[in-house]
Amino acid sequence: MDRVQMDSFIDRLLAAAKEAGLETAEVYYTEAEAFSVGLMKGEVDSYEVSTSGGLGLRGTVDGRMGYAATEAYDEDAIAQLIEGVKESAALNEAQEQDTIFAGDAVYPEIGKPESDLAAWSAEKKIALAHEIEQAALSRDSRVSQTQGVSVSTSRGVRILRNSYGLNLRREGEVCVAYASPIAREGEDTSTGFKIAAGYRLGDVKPAELGAGAADDALAMLHAKPVPSGDYRVILRREAMGDLLATFSGVFSAENAQQKLSLLAGREGEKIASDAVTLMDDPLLPGGFASTPFDGEGSASRTKAVIDAGTLTTLLHSRKTAKKQGVETTGNALRAGYAGAVRVGPTNFFIRPGEKTLEQLMAEMGDGLVITDVSGLHAGANPISGDFSLLSKGFVIRDGKQAEPVEQVTVAGNFYALLKSIRAVADDLRFDGRSIASPSVDAGVMKVSGK
Amino acid sequence: MIHPSLAQEVLAKATATGGDFAEIFLEDSRSHSLLLKSGHMDSVNSLRSHGAGVRVFNGTSAVYVYTNDTSREGLIACAQKAAAAVTEGKGCAPIPLNPSDARRPEEIRVLPGDVTAARKAEKLRAADAAARAVSGEIVQVNARYSDTVQDVLIANTEGTFVTDRRVYTRLACTAVASDGTENQSGSTNPGASMGFELFDSRVDPEACGKLAANQAVTMLHAPVCPAGVYPVVIDNGFGGVIFHEACGHSLEATSVAYGISEFSGRLGEMIAAPCVTAIDDGTIPNEWGSEHVDDEGMPTTRLVLIENGKLVGYMIDKLGGRRMGMAPTGSGRRESYQWAPTSRMRNTYIAAGKDDEAEMIATMGEGLYAKAMGGGSVNPATGEFNFAVNEGYWVKDGKIVHPVRGASLIGRGSEVLLRIDRVGRDMRMAQGMCGSMSGSIPVNVGQPMIRVSSLTVGGR
Repeated sequence: MDRVQMDSFIDRLLAAAKEAGLETAEVYYTEAEAFSVGLMKGEVDSYEVSTSGGLGLRGTVDGRMGYAATEAYDEDAIAQLIEGVKESAALNEAQEQDTIFAGDAVYPEIGKPESDLAAWSAEKKIALAHEIEQAALSRDSRVSQTQGVSVSTSRGVRILRNSYGLNLRREGEVCVAYASPIAREGEDTSTGFKIAAGYRLGDVKPAELGAGAADDALAMLHAKPVPSGDYRVILRREAMGDLLATFSGVFSAENAQQKLSLLAGREGEKIASDAVTLMDDPLLPGGFASTPFDGEGSASRTKAVIDAGTLTTLLHSRKTAKKQGVETTGNALRAGYAGAVRVGPTNFFIRPGEKTLEQLMAEMGDGLVITDVSGLHAGANPISGDFSLLSKGFVIRDGKQAEPVEQVTVAGNFYALLKSIRAVADDLRFDGRSIASPSVDAGVMKVSGK
Repeated sequence: MIHPSLAQEVLAKATATGGDFAEIFLEDSRSHSLLLKSGHMDSVNSLRSHGAGVRVFNGTSAVYVYTNDTSREGLIACAQKAAAAVTEGKGCAPIPLNPSDARRPEEIRVLPGDVTAARKAEKLRAADAAARAVSGEIVQVNARYSDTVQDVLIANTEGTFVTDRRVYTRLACTAVASDGTENQSGSTNPGASMGFELFDSRVDPEACGKLAANQAVTMLHAPVCPAGVYPVVIDNGFGGVIFHEACGHSLEATSVAYGISEFSGRLGEMIAAPCVTAIDDGTIPNEWGSEHVDDEGMPTTRLVLIENGKLVGYMIDKLGGRRMGMAPTGSGRRESYQWAPTSRMRNTYIAAGKDDEAEMIATMGEGLYAKAMGGGSVNPATGEFNFAVNEGYWVKDGKIVHPVRGASLIGRGSEVLLRIDRVGRDMRMAQGMCGSMSGSIPVNVGQPMIRVSSLTVGGR
């Protein structure tokens, strides 16, 4: 739907909502145009083009909030949305109700990265995918196949409008490319994975991406489990980033207030080692979650959630902040156009330290460096903080990376991990994600192997 | 939804540049969900999902274009965008469309749309109250009700023009037990391809609440699971996730077609112990993973994957079939119009065997009895899988001695299938959402109680 048609639909919807007796109402609309191409064995194996979006309406009846959403904008849609909101509001019994926000006086300016994606044809993107695949397959004779190579681009817009006249809009573009080569030698098989993301297709360096992914797979050939026991462990940035993303919910005031996080009421306490400063930065230039406004229209701001080990604040929406008697941190989160407003991080990362990963390994002497953890949706419990995860990595011997390790689990507890981090490396990278971490020296962890 | 003549026109446009097959998938879904948190109705959501996808094949290459705009102009634009990506194809001769409605063996007695939200809410309150009554240590109960009615139309250049209605209803209950410094959770998520009659015959909300709460309290008082390599007994029901991860995904055409899977090219070989027979069955009426027609318009099937240890079948979608030179098996599935379909599981289970459940534990020595499993994942290229144990018990000298928490199981599919040394008699299934290349779809996993002679147990 074009911009004029959508504006007109929203005008009619908000007018009808008022007419139907909704005291306040808000529309959240998202739309994306996307392209992706996948290669397999030198051929285009998938090619996808889409235009899709949806619209969520929330509004209050007797001060209680209701929700409904649609992807159809036909004659029935307005009536269905309003009926849905009314039914939903009538059942809502939450003790603290969300409210629609009239808006802040000022919103921060975020430099929008200059993007050239619109100018690239499908043929150019396919050619880029071929270059990546070639770089992976020509790296070494043991790499003769991939699980997939893909280049995708998308352009999105989100609009937040409400009955107070607030009208916020944000557009963004991104390209993402990945390669996942398979290395085989004798009976042994291993896989590698590298991803690159940016705002210009030039941000994807095909040779570097393809060869890097192939090296990743080759390095893991002939990996073996190590004996079970306690090991000094470095979590490389990919693994630590995955853990931080999985457990990011523990920093939500919403979870804390519902006793789903053990950080409830612990602001001002030391919850991590001195090495840990955890940032939530919605204003990060080029950040994949950068935004001037949050999911309910509050102005975004940057904050340290953990400052040198001390919990300074949890992440708040207006509702959770009101309950606790503090100001919102601008972390109201809309997971999509449908559903309730939740609380969550924006660009969320552990602030990098001074040392390189190699220095951390040298200082450790003997131990393991874990490069990959899998099964996070299953092997990590965001409520207890416990995790026990299938992991890959390398032995560290005499301060240097040695033979590869697989078929082991690394187990621990996220809350305990925060305290046991001895040092943070300087190698923070986002690679298309909004939650990331540098590599960390995680102290001693339980490893289950052979 | 749309008239066959419009479908015919869209398919003709889609194949105008040489595509040798084209398909339209049109969807209009209504879903409703209620979330009860801490005893209060927190949010009630209704969603109307609506859109269409056009897919074109040229040999073994596929193009997929989707949109929310299902007007004539929108569909034609989709077809043109798809056709624009095809060059030098051999084209296809149009076949007249033969309109039909999918055969549906079960009757939906109470459509979710005919039930008030207040009645749905009662089920959540019942689950919540039952969970809280279990123990003062239960600090939080989240109960979620959800239903979906998905109306679809699938038309293709092979003459298919089929409409179908899929109805799903589910209850999910999670309880959290806490002693102030530690939290543990328990959960259960039963559902079926049914309407609100789910609660008449299959699902008792109070029993769900109790089960989730008991699991949480048990785990709160459990020591951490020892780590190492041990025999493992896995209970029936959701225990079937081990087959789903360790083997099922690696038998999907998505992995098999390009020789990625460790089971590629191994039809007829013994890939499992002789006591293992495994089946993927889309035909069981009312089951969570069942279908009438798949998302490519093919009637669903019952497919034997492994027979007495021997690999006899793969799960194959249309495109996978072209790549493998084999016939599709009614296994093409997708989350919604926003995904191109691919080969996926339905109700996948290890068939009942002959072994005595008590004997399995009595003769296992020291190891883990995994009573309730969590989710898992697999890398089909290497076969490496992992999954979580939500409720586990430690066994010593063949006797269950105490519960253990935080356990996970890892291994390789090809190895674990050969190490199954007992298959019990009471096969049960449980419901899950499976995420893969064509999105998140409802599937059943299932098995009788089984024993694996050795498996790496990740504990602490």
